Amino acid sequence: MPQLALTEAVFYILLSLQKPLHGYGIIQNVGELSHGRVKLAAGTLYGALNSLVEKGWIDALPENPESRKKEYVITASGLSVLKEELARLSELVDNGKRLLGGN
Amino acid sequence: MRRVVHKLFFIWQLEKEQAWVNEMASHGYSLEHAGRLTFEFDETEPGKYIYKEIFLKGWGEGAENIKYFKFLEEMGIKVVCYINYPGTCWVYLRALKEDYPDGIELYSDIDSKITYQKVMAWYMLLVIVLTLAAGSLNLWISLYSRNYVFPLNFICAVFLLSLCAGAVVAEINNLVKLSRLKKERKLHE
Repeated sequence: MPQLALTEAVFYILLSLQKPLHGYGIIQNVGELSHGRVKLAAGTLYGALNSLVEKGWIDALPENPESRKKEYVITASGLSVLKEELARLSELVDNGKRLLGGN
Repeated sequence: MRRVVHKLFFIWQLEKEQAWVNEMASHGYSLEHAGRLTFEFDETEPGKYIYKEIFLKGWGEGAENIKYFKFLEEMGIKVVCYINYPGTCWVYLRALKEDYPDGIELYSDIDSKITYQKVMAWYMLLVIVLTLAAGSLNLWISLYSRNYVFPLNFICAVFLLSLCAGAVVAEINNLVKLSRLKKERKLHE
């Protein structure tokens, strides 16, 4: 079965977690990647992180005793989901460009 | 110096209460504790904090909510206090205005807004059912007891049924919002 589309938030969270980040770091990183367009809100991020851990697409790392902030990182299955999604998005972009003549 | 204000807000006046708490903060009074009828403020720099009030499933001291509160604190959002109600809690959050100049927004996509609106809708339904049942019972007792000297049950019935009517109005608002969000979700995330 082909994979269903990821939400924009999930796509950017997975993309950000190629290196370990805590919640606030993810918000900042997603903001920078999208040039300020995507502003993840705390509640939405919290729900998404919990679902992603449950799915096994990201791991929660043991809490850093100094900062007491929980960090997350992408897993191998998360990375493969992200790559599949990238292929799906490329198809959309390619078709869009082809049929709209790049305008 | 601490200033205690007594004020009554009903359960469907969440937005009104939040606006009032924020107005107090803009005048230099930061909310430090809230009870069902009392609000305690400390004098602070005007406009330093911004407040947000939310409903959550379960009590404030529940394990899931404690985890969520800790996560919010990492985001610079502090839990000032919460009030437990059956199966839910009403939470007062605050953050520095310089960190959240546009206000504290907890949900940035339609799905999480829908989930939140559903919690509100279910809770309001519970309020409607309970106030309607208790109000009708009191009305029934007052009609049959024919106590005209001290019509306590009648007063209770009027109070409960007015609460129920208010909750119905709030529930209609909730359902309208929910249906608008669901319609939007068919096109956008």
